[in-house]
Amino acid sequence: MAGNTLPADQLTAFYFALFAVCFPFIGFLKNLILPDKFNDKVSIYTLAASVLCCLVLLLYRFNEPEFVLQTTWFVIGKTVITAGIWLNHLSMLMLLLVSLIALAVHIYSVQYMEDDERYPAYFTYLSFFTFAMMGLVIAPNLIQLYFFWELVGFASYLLIGFWYEREKASSAAKKAFIMNRIGDVGFLIGIFIIFNLYNTFNLTEVNGIKTAEILARNPGSLTVASLCFFLGAMAKSAQFPLFTWLPDAMEGPTAVSSLLHAATMVAAGVFLMARLTPVFTDSALLVMAVVGAVTAFLAAYMALTQKDLKRILAFSTISQLGFMMLAIGIEAQAAAIFHLITHAFFKCLLFLSAGVVIHYMGHFHDAEDSPQDITRMGGLRKKLPFTFAVCSLAALALAGIPFTSGYLSKDAILIQAFEWAEGKGFLFKLIPLSALITSWLTAFYISRLIFTVFFERGEAAKSQQLIVTSFRPSTYEPKSYWMPMLFLALCSLFIVYSWNPFSYEHSWIFASLNKHVAAGSLYHILIPVVVNLGTIGLIYLAYQRYVKNRFSKLSNRGFVYKLSFHQLYLDRFYELALVPSVLFFSKAIFAFDRYVVDGVVNGTALFTRKISSISSWFDGYVIDGFVNQTARISGIIGHYFRNFQSGRIQRYLTLMLFLLLLVCLIFVFI
Amino acid sequence: MIPVGHFLILGAALFCLGIYAVLTRNNAIQILIGIELMLNASVLNLLAASRYDRFNLNGQVFALFVIVLAAASVAVALAIILNVYRNFNSIDPNEVNKIKD
Repeated sequence: MAGNTLPADQLTAFYFALFAVCFPFIGFLKNLILPDKFNDKVSIYTLAASVLCCLVLLLYRFNEPEFVLQTTWFVIGKTVITAGIWLNHLSMLMLLLVSLIALAVHIYSVQYMEDDERYPAYFTYLSFFTFAMMGLVIAPNLIQLYFFWELVGFASYLLIGFWYEREKASSAAKKAFIMNRIGDVGFLIGIFIIFNLYNTFNLTEVNGIKTAEILARNPGSLTVASLCFFLGAMAKSAQFPLFTWLPDAMEGPTAVSSLLHAATMVAAGVFLMARLTPVFTDSALLVMAVVGAVTAFLAAYMALTQKDLKRILAFSTISQLGFMMLAIGIEAQAAAIFHLITHAFFKCLLFLSAGVVIHYMGHFHDAEDSPQDITRMGGLRKKLPFTFAVCSLAALALAGIPFTSGYLSKDAILIQAFEWAEGKGFLFKLIPLSALITSWLTAFYISRLIFTVFFERGEAAKSQQLIVTSFRPSTYEPKSYWMPMLFLALCSLFIVYSWNPFSYEHSWIFASLNKHVAAGSLYHILIPVVVNLGTIGLIYLAYQRYVKNRFSKLSNRGFVYKLSFHQLYLDRFYELALVPSVLFFSKAIFAFDRYVVDGVVNGTALFTRKISSISSWFDGYVIDGFVNQTARISGIIGHYFRNFQSGRIQRYLTLMLFLLLLVCLIFVFI
Repeated sequence: MIPVGHFLILGAALFCLGIYAVLTRNNAIQILIGIELMLNASVLNLLAASRYDRFNLNGQVFALFVIVLAAASVAVALAIILNVYRNFNSIDPNEVNKIKD
């Protein structure tokens, strides 16, 4: 299979992709086996090489036809499981995205994690994570995809629980892992169903023409398979109701949050959905759209009231992932991936800024207070000017203001959602409408964050604020932060994606991924205008509320507020309803194991012991007794006859005489 | 004429005495005497039997042989007894019991 029939240019591309994936792995191996003070450099340089490979690949191969190169991994029966590389637009874009974001986070982490005592191990994990994610995006078949999917889950477990000595961090890591397992089960079942239907694991074959035939023959199983895959994506991409692990996972280092929970790991679910699009049936797609819309709306709603800086960003991530799922559901894969890419950059930037703010606040907080509580912040605009600038830009991108990347991708989703609902029933219209409301909510919560953290607030809020008197900006915004953050800020601008700041359809990423050309409609003008008017209005409202302190009558005690602050009490629900039942089930199984399974084993053992003791008694007393008695009798007889050999000659003679007489008597009388 | 049964009875009685002496005496010389008694009992029997063989007198010839042999055997036996005495410092056969198992 390997390459002898392939053109040379494809082979070269294959090697570039292979190197791109393997470099972080080499770094990981080196760091794992020979940990030393150069761990960070090894990780960064291997990753930089990988970025270079991806870049070359994208520049020279992007407009070439896609191809798959694979070789036999292992064989089960007659089924050949392959491993290889599938290069098309999607995987090349994802390769570059993952490596770029990871590189930015690596460079940022050098300064950010500097004081950590497990600094070398941190880079080992980062390299491993990057490798797993890059292996995932190039996978040409479901088994390889699943393999790397699990590696990503494991790496995220390591990184979320990096500060494992903290109770909260280790339980957050466990929570993330367990919730991901729920999705993994779905993914695995989906793989089984797909293999049953198609008799292959190859994604190119699965996505090929066979789908139509199978759809006609067996639509039910295909829907179940789609929903199983979606369950996997729900857990990985934190969709409702499996999103609760993501806010908790913010216990990890902030740089990790930006890599895992904003840019790459959670994108794996959306990526999986995009890879498997042709398999999904209409009903499954509808479920995805609904779940995506519900997730987007609820997460934005929850983000409104959170007080923890990173949790706001976490909910914002969930909300944006909901948008992507929605886009997948309405068959706007190009928009979904486009939004994934733009979102990765600006959300990563937001998290890195949050890291700077948290480090800054960390120097002033007392023991009870979290340095991440935004109600204790304020006026940081002057203390951290650079962070303020880039963070505002990222916030604008998140809100979807024109000239940013977020504007392009979010409008792509909104417009296509409206076009999709066109001509369908009223209930279908709810989906784009909720997306519209969500995008307004997004604008509100992110401006709340910016205004609360960076702006001076009114007198009422000031009492809670920590006022910092002496500071040196360079301490908190060192030059090593500038490069990754500036780069990410650049990527949050429209110009990277499209020469036309108002039309997503001109963006090269969207155009390369989009398969069908949609007819232009009124929505293309209407939606951006409506969205942005609302957005700007809400930003102004937030400005009034949080900077000027008007409307402070808006109560913090209402039911709507509490519901949002406590994340719909979903965690509580899981804790009270699901966890006890699972625990009860586990205990029942444990009891079964203890008393029935172990009982049978122990009973058998006891029985055997009894049998053996009987057997041993029989052996000791009957068989040995027989042998010993025989020996004893022989001994007694022998001893008796020994007495005749007394050595006394007269005895012998007497004996001889009597025997002679005996013989004579016998001869005489018989 | 003395009937032959009397000779035989006397011979048997002498033989029994001889056996008794051989089996019970604690002195090797006395045992030897017992052996001599038994030999003489047999000689008596030979002589009694010789009455029925007046021409050849085989019985008397044998009796002479026996007496000669007895003399020879006594000589040998005495030599043995002498050696036993040298080795064991005793001629009690109960003390000469080295041939037991």
